[in-house]
Amino acid sequence: MGSQFVDFNADGHVDYISATFDGSPHVSYGSKEGFGTPERIKDARGQRIRISSIWNYESKKHENLEQTSNGKERRERCISALAFDWDSDGDYDLLLGSYEGGHLYRQMNEGTNAAPKFTGKNIPVMAGDKPFELAAKMTAPRLVDWDGDGDMDLIAGSFGDSYGPNGTGGGVYLSRNNGSVGKPAFAALETLIAPSPKGHAAPTRPDAGLYVDAVDYDGDGDLDLVVGGYSMWKEAPRELTAEEQAIVAKLKSENAVAVMKRNAVAKKQAAAVKAATAGLDYSNPEYQKKASEVYKEFRPEYMGAMKQVQAIGKKLGKYVPAPQRQAFVWLYERK
Amino acid sequence: MKVAQFLDFEWRAFALAVAGSALLCGSPSVADEVDGQAKFAAPQRIKAGEAFVGAGRLYPSPVFYDVNGDGHKDIVVGDLFGRVTFAAGTERGLTPETPLLDSSGKALKFQNW
Repeated sequence: MGSQFVDFNADGHVDYISATFDGSPHVSYGSKEGFGTPERIKDARGQRIRISSIWNYESKKHENLEQTSNGKERRERCISALAFDWDSDGDYDLLLGSYEGGHLYRQMNEGTNAAPKFTGKNIPVMAGDKPFELAAKMTAPRLVDWDGDGDMDLIAGSFGDSYGPNGTGGGVYLSRNNGSVGKPAFAALETLIAPSPKGHAAPTRPDAGLYVDAVDYDGDGDLDLVVGGYSMWKEAPRELTAEEQAIVAKLKSENAVAVMKRNAVAKKQAAAVKAATAGLDYSNPEYQKKASEVYKEFRPEYMGAMKQVQAIGKKLGKYVPAPQRQAFVWLYERK
Repeated sequence: MKVAQFLDFEWRAFALAVAGSALLCGSPSVADEVDGQAKFAAPQRIKAGEAFVGAGRLYPSPVFYDVNGDGHKDIVVGDLFGRVTFAAGTERGLTPETPLLDSSGKALKFQNW
């Protein structure tokens, strides 16, 4: 989720706008008592604002509600949102960012801040002569006057490969606004932080899932970058004594057995779910009920097997470095 | 790991020494750039109190904003679950992260799937 603080409904109190993986923007309205319970921002028809795919809380599934011009399902979830007066007509329009493809759309407000009327129509935001795109999946964009020319530029991070120890991680990008207030014209993306090549022996940077903000962190008059994300590293192995090598060999053997046991429980559980829900559609509440009963029944056995794998892994980690993945927030001080 | 922790500490001390009361305050002006490309120092992990900001969270997303209106920018960190924490900016750095509370005193949380 990204975050933006802005007086969205022009009542004199700052509100908190965000979007999550449920596919729609939310707002927590501020008051003198504080922030209220977040609620969905709706369009003029009363529909939840979206790009194309949303999480349906009733069916518990992601649903695609729109198709492309060639009839294929558009699978784009809105996971970031910004209030931005695109046309400088005095009310906030919305910028909606998608996870898949890392596209950015604008949805115009034909009402006012106090009584918004969002059109429900998403217009692609261009970056140069192409639609804005972060193919490595976009986390969340931020509006900031990066070049100090009086208009809002866009900075955005990408997810990259968030799991594997190899592969390319995420980066941070800038799209300068070369237009003017009320007529934004965003330029092609520039790289501010190159995608991570990963493969570090220590946490040296955010490698994946880069969420960025720009702020003058050190008070020197320029904008620095503050970036949240996963660091992924693996410490260099040390030389083992003969005794340690023997211990490692034994632990690896025990680990193989423990993994097999865990996988066998998972397989047995999957078969039990299949048998218990035979003939039922996934969206049927009865399916969910029966599946939950099976999961509950198998949980002690599965967790027991999992804990054994983890315990052996912990012991192994004393001798053989294991891949690490942990989130932090980093400062990139601008020189 | 120990070296990285040392650097994190050193950076914090350096930032405080250089920025003083201006830390997390003030309006940025036009930044210096070389050939249009911004240059950055090697990244350093930010701490709030003695802990790393965002540590242990799923996809932490930081934003600086003066939430408590004391003139210092605070750091607000969201995550995958829609949970939000807050660390107040002070002249001495960031206070430890705590949940950002809503108007009823409960932890603010955005609904996720």
